[in-house]
Amino acid sequence: MAYLDKLGADVARWQGKGLLSAEQASILVAEARDNHRSGIGIGSVLAILAGLLLAAAILIFIAANWEAIPRLWRVAALFALLAASYLGGALLKLNGQDGFAESAWLVGAATFGGAIALIGQMYHMSGDETQAILVWCLGAAVAAAALRSPALTIAAVVLAMLWGVWPAYSIFRFDAPLGYLPLAAALWAIAMWTRSISARYLILLSLIPYAILLYLQHDNIVLLIALTLVSAGLFAAVILAGDMVEQLIGLGGGLASVALIGVFSGLVALQAVFADTGHFLWLSIVALAASIAALAYGGRLGRGVRWLAYAAFAVEIALIYLQTVGSMLGTAGFFLVAALGLGLLAFFIIRIERRMAVSAQGGS
Amino acid sequence: MRRPSVLIIAAAVVAALQIGFLAWTISTRASVLRDGREVVLKVEPIDPRDLLRGDYVTLGYEMSRLRAALFQPPPAADADSSPRSVWVALRKGDDNLFHPVKAAFDRSALTGLAADDVVVRGETSNWPGVGGDVFVQYGLERFYLPEGAGKQIEQDMRQRSFFVVAAVAADGAAQIKAFRDGETTLFEEPYY
Repeated sequence: MAYLDKLGADVARWQGKGLLSAEQASILVAEARDNHRSGIGIGSVLAILAGLLLAAAILIFIAANWEAIPRLWRVAALFALLAASYLGGALLKLNGQDGFAESAWLVGAATFGGAIALIGQMYHMSGDETQAILVWCLGAAVAAAALRSPALTIAAVVLAMLWGVWPAYSIFRFDAPLGYLPLAAALWAIAMWTRSISARYLILLSLIPYAILLYLQHDNIVLLIALTLVSAGLFAAVILAGDMVEQLIGLGGGLASVALIGVFSGLVALQAVFADTGHFLWLSIVALAASIAALAYGGRLGRGVRWLAYAAFAVEIALIYLQTVGSMLGTAGFFLVAALGLGLLAFFIIRIERRMAVSAQGGS
Repeated sequence: MRRPSVLIIAAAVVAALQIGFLAWTISTRASVLRDGREVVLKVEPIDPRDLLRGDYVTLGYEMSRLRAALFQPPPAADADSSPRSVWVALRKGDDNLFHPVKAAFDRSALTGLAADDVVVRGETSNWPGVGGDVFVQYGLERFYLPEGAGKQIEQDMRQRSFFVVAAVAADGAAQIKAFRDGETTLFEEPYY
C-alpha cells in the first residue's frame, strides 16, 4: 500500500501545480488502486499463518474431543466455524484489512477440508480420499472466485496438484489424471479473475511434471518432445513478442524462466530416455546450444533466466561427462575435471553478468 | 471495489454451499440407514498384520474379494484395471449371514435374482488379483473407534468372529449400521 500512498501524495501535488485536473487525478488514483495489488507483504503472510494455525487448533480440538462432544454438536461447531470465517473475512475485507480477510477465508477453506475428513470419520464413511481432495479443491476454487481471493486461488491450485499426485502417494498408481487439464484451465480462469499471478505460475509449473507423468503412463515419446517444443515456443514468444504475450498471459518477467524450466525438463527427460543410445549425443548438443541461445537471446530478460541457463549448462556438462568419459577416469580425475569445468563456468558467468550490468547502466 | 453487500452475500453463498454439501453427505447417509435393507456381514481380516490403523479398524468381508466366476459376464483377462463400479448380489444363507452370489459391472446384467437378494454397489480397487479375483470396496471398510478402545477390539477380532450390520439403499449405496462382537452389539449408529 506504500506505493499507493506515495502516488496519492504525488497526484495531489501535481494537481496543486495545475498539471492535472481534479477529474484526471481521481481517474489516475482509481486506476492505480484497481491494478496495483501490492504483493503479499510480511504482515499478510503472518496473518495467513496465524489463521492456518488457528484452523488447525480448532480442528484438532474437535477431532481429539471425540467422545466428549456429542456428534451433532461437533457438526454444528464445524458449520459455525465455516460461516464465521467466510462472513468474518468479508467484514474484514470491507474494513480494509485485506491480509486478515484472506487469512480468515483460508481458515474457511481449511475448515471445509477438515470437516470433510472429520465428518467422514464421525459417520464411518470410508470414501475415496482422492475424490475428497477434489471436492475440497472445488470448494476452495468456488470460494476463490466468489470472494475474488488470491490466497484462496493459490490454495485451490495446491489442492488440485495434491489431487493429481494423491493416487501415486496413497496407492502407488502413477497415473496422470486427465481431469487435471480442464481443472487447471478453470483454475487459470479464476486466477485471472482474482489477479493471482502466483497461482498462475504454480499452474504453469505443475504442467511440467504433469507432462512427464503423462509420458511415464503412456510411454509415448511425443509427449516429452511436445513439452520441450511448446516450452521453447513460449520462450521464443516472450523474446520476440514480449508485449503481446504479457497482454495475453500477464505474468511479468518470470514467464521466460518457467518456459526455460520446461525446455530443460523436457530435454533432460529425453536424454534419460535415450541415455544408452546414439541419440544421447545430439540431444546433449541441442541442450547445450539451447542453454547458450537462452543466454544470448534471453539473458537481458533477467537474472532468473540467466541463472537457469547457467544451471542447465552445468547440468548438461555433468550429464555428458557421466555418460561418456565418466567411466574412463578415476575419482581424482573426476574432481580435476569438475574443478576445471566449474572454474571455466564461473569465469564466463562473471564476464556475462558484468557485461549485463554495464549494458543495463548504459541503457538507462 | 464492489459494494459491501455484494461481498457479504458472496461470503454467505460460499458458506451455504460448503455447509450444504457437508449436510447433504450426512443426510444421504442417514437416509441409507433409515430406508436401506439390513444385511449382516461377517468381518474377515484382509490384512491380518494391521487391523488397527490410527483410530479405526480396517474391515474386510467375504464380498471384498470376489472370484471371477461370480461375474456375469466374466471379466476379460486383459481388462483395464482402473477403478470402476461393480454390482454385487448378496443372498441370505442358512447362517443368517449374507454372502455374495453374483456380480456384474453393469447392474442390468445381474439376472435371475431372488426377491430377498440385496444388490450392493462397490468400486473395484485392485484387479485382477491372484487367480483373477476382483477386489472391491464398498465404503464399509473403516470403523472409527473411541480413543483407547482400538487395541482390545483388535485383539478380540483375532480370536472370535465380528459382524457388521449394514444398510443398503435401493441404489446400492451401503452404510455401517452396527458393529457386533459375536451376538453382542458393540456400537449402534444413530442416524445423525
